[in-house]
Amino acid sequence: MDYLSADKILIVDLAASETTEDELDEDLVSEKIGGAGMTKHLYEQHEDEDPIVIGTGLLTGTLYPATAAGVITAKSPVSGTLCHCPITLKLGVEIKYSGFDYIVLKGVSDKPIYLWVHDGVADIQDAADVWGKDVWETTDAWRKIVGDDLLQTLVIGKSGESGSDYAQVCFNHWSSGDRWGFGKAFGGKNIKGAAFRGMGLLEAAKPEEFVERSLEILKAIKPNDFMGKRGVGDICAALGHEDVTDWLAPIVHRHSACYNTPYPTNTFAYLDDDPKLVTETKVKEPGILITDIFGLIGFKNLGLSAADSCRALKACAKYGIDPTAVAELSPGKSLEDVENAFARLSGSPPIAGKGVFSPWCPTKPLFGDFGLSGGDETANWWERHQALASIFGIHPIFAVMCPQLTEENMLELANIGTDLELDKDTLDEVIDGLCG
Amino acid sequence: MNLYQHYTAINARLARGETLHFDAEKTRKLCYPRIGVYAGTGTSHSWLWFAELFERIGFHDIAFLNERAIQEGLNGSDVLAVSGGDTFAVAEALGAKGSEQIRTFVEKGGLYIGACAGAYLPMNSSKEHLNLFNFADVKITNLSKTLPKAERMAHKCYTAYGCDFIFHPVREEVRLRTTGIQPFTAHSSLLAPMYGGPSMAIPENAEVLACYDGFTEKTAFLVSHALAQETLLGKAAVVRVKRGNGCFYLFGPHFEHPRFPEANKLMADAIYWDIRDRRETQPASAQDEDTLRGPDAKKLIRDIKRELSNSRIVATGLEIMPIHWLIGAKIYEPEKIRVFLEAAWSRLIRLEKRDQINIRPGVAAHLVEYAKEITVALREIKNLTDREHDTVKSATEIFNLLNQFSTTFLEMYFGCLMLDA
Repeated sequence: MDYLSADKILIVDLAASETTEDELDEDLVSEKIGGAGMTKHLYEQHEDEDPIVIGTGLLTGTLYPATAAGVITAKSPVSGTLCHCPITLKLGVEIKYSGFDYIVLKGVSDKPIYLWVHDGVADIQDAADVWGKDVWETTDAWRKIVGDDLLQTLVIGKSGESGSDYAQVCFNHWSSGDRWGFGKAFGGKNIKGAAFRGMGLLEAAKPEEFVERSLEILKAIKPNDFMGKRGVGDICAALGHEDVTDWLAPIVHRHSACYNTPYPTNTFAYLDDDPKLVTETKVKEPGILITDIFGLIGFKNLGLSAADSCRALKACAKYGIDPTAVAELSPGKSLEDVENAFARLSGSPPIAGKGVFSPWCPTKPLFGDFGLSGGDETANWWERHQALASIFGIHPIFAVMCPQLTEENMLELANIGTDLELDKDTLDEVIDGLCG
Repeated sequence: MNLYQHYTAINARLARGETLHFDAEKTRKLCYPRIGVYAGTGTSHSWLWFAELFERIGFHDIAFLNERAIQEGLNGSDVLAVSGGDTFAVAEALGAKGSEQIRTFVEKGGLYIGACAGAYLPMNSSKEHLNLFNFADVKITNLSKTLPKAERMAHKCYTAYGCDFIFHPVREEVRLRTTGIQPFTAHSSLLAPMYGGPSMAIPENAEVLACYDGFTEKTAFLVSHALAQETLLGKAAVVRVKRGNGCFYLFGPHFEHPRFPEANKLMADAIYWDIRDRRETQPASAQDEDTLRGPDAKKLIRDIKRELSNSRIVATGLEIMPIHWLIGAKIYEPEKIRVFLEAAWSRLIRLEKRDQINIRPGVAAHLVEYAKEITVALREIKNLTDREHDTVKSATEIFNLLNQFSTTFLEMYFGCLMLDA
């Protein structure tokens, strides 16, 4: 697979501590397209060894709008079913640029390890030094070892190491869309996580046409209803929590978008420095990037202040635990209660949707008008849109706010980029395979 | 067929033993040259441009020489290419032994190609170390007793030269006019970049092949436009000085720079024109070499790739940090690190596809070791920089390591190209 691809699948045999590589076959791409379509296929191929499959969408890392996402596919240790978790921020892109489209982690390592993936080289590294450390310490340690502040990490904290059902795989320092306990799955395999950095380039089959059409689609997005809105506050408002923006405002420092995503879905709150600061902070840990809308709303609903809600999010991110589950299941209502509950949580938080795609992404349209009448139609639309986003590598939240990103233009760009002839029937088949 | 393919085709025919001539009158027989590229103490990264040029045009019989190799003799080479860098440091490193070897080499018919610092080196000088290399009676015009006012990049503008200053009026692209003397007949006007090279007074005992003729919108003026004009325009940019049976080519601008194909062509023509048919050409690099095959070859390239990737990642991060180093008389920016690393990285793809790697015995282990040391040293620089500590010592070590690694790597690489030929 020459285009829009690193052309490599990495297979990591954790028990043998060995890696092998397969080329990404064009025929397979023609059949499964990419992203979750492919990770599900690879999962089934290696099912006997209970794999975790990390992947990127066919358009991930390109100029098509919002192509920030990758996907983790594995059997949830909590529900026992196959689930997908979106990879966002700059991590999804970095995975592809680091030289692999897909990574299969199979078997169980006999000692703590992490994977260092860079420029098409995958090194299994000893994680003894970071086992027991929290998510932030681990990311900082790996960045220091590698000597690169832009290193992107996928990492578990103490929650994952101790086998909590609510353990998350976090991205760099921040919470993720993992509602499936994949952190526990990583911990069970003795994998602390993976670090990615690559300076690779993607080639498009018809580069000029690809750029031109991507820019046209981006231009068509501009008059959208989300223009002028930003950050988690406005998303919360669109979900009916209109007071979040004002509640959070005093500690908001900035809003932050994932790679090439026209809406900043993340908001950085300063807890230990002046939120109005425009120069670089001297404080080592000034605050928290709010990446989990429902976690934030959950802590607010417990009665926590904005600052304490963000402190709770920070504690969750460090511990590597799902903040939405913590907010839902925490027996107490103070920040201290929340932090003390991490190791003692029990129960099952409600999961919206069919349990295939993460309800970390709101399950209804945000801002944009998708012409839906509600009820089952909205539920089915959401599942299909999440499948679509996960196949092509589109940011899942942006996918539910931007009607201009259509199945047709995703397929069109995929074909321009790859020179393949992917069609609607194939896409329907892959989506049906994912949604059941 | 582009310029480089044209030369590659000629060289492929020469390598097969065909007899070809430079001119229709058949006065100049073409030879496939064995080229020594000086990559030792005092050189900057610009010797890599020679490597790239020679690779593109199919001159693949290359040896990368440090000062010790030159001091031991240049008998195996037809051409010695000396690139940019710190002329004083080059002269000191080569010393009397190196000077004697270069003199003998040229007098016996060898061709010396000097660009920038490599052009200053053989010019007459009274300064210590440089005075060992008084081979060409050429005077420079970019010399001043008073310090001209720097309009920008003051750290790149001057070099102290005794009580005087060698100053560099412009950087980047300049326009040149050729004089119609063979072999510079392919273009009457061309562009080439300057990074501190000399402008020369028209010498009596030398042939001027090209003069500075003008500036372009890409010319960066380090002194006033008027002073730059006065110092450069109409002055010699390329001269040929004969000595014994050989000659010195002195290039003020970098004709070997990979983005200037017309200049590249003239440099290739200079080699064809003035090389002497002194021996039966046999690939030197195929001798005394081990062949790594199959998994061993793949493992070697994989191990190198791993460390190069590690190094590139750190080096890229250093480029956004506000640091540079004064090493000897030259300022080094972090960007120069990646020039070395990319030179090897860009060639790895070709080596990755091979099942066979030719390399001198024992060198494979050294190569991987150098690469690992570079990674460790770069990470150390990053760590020290983060803590706001001085890193000049580490940077000096890095550039030495990069030179050692790059010469060894490229020797292996060109050895493989020769094998293919």
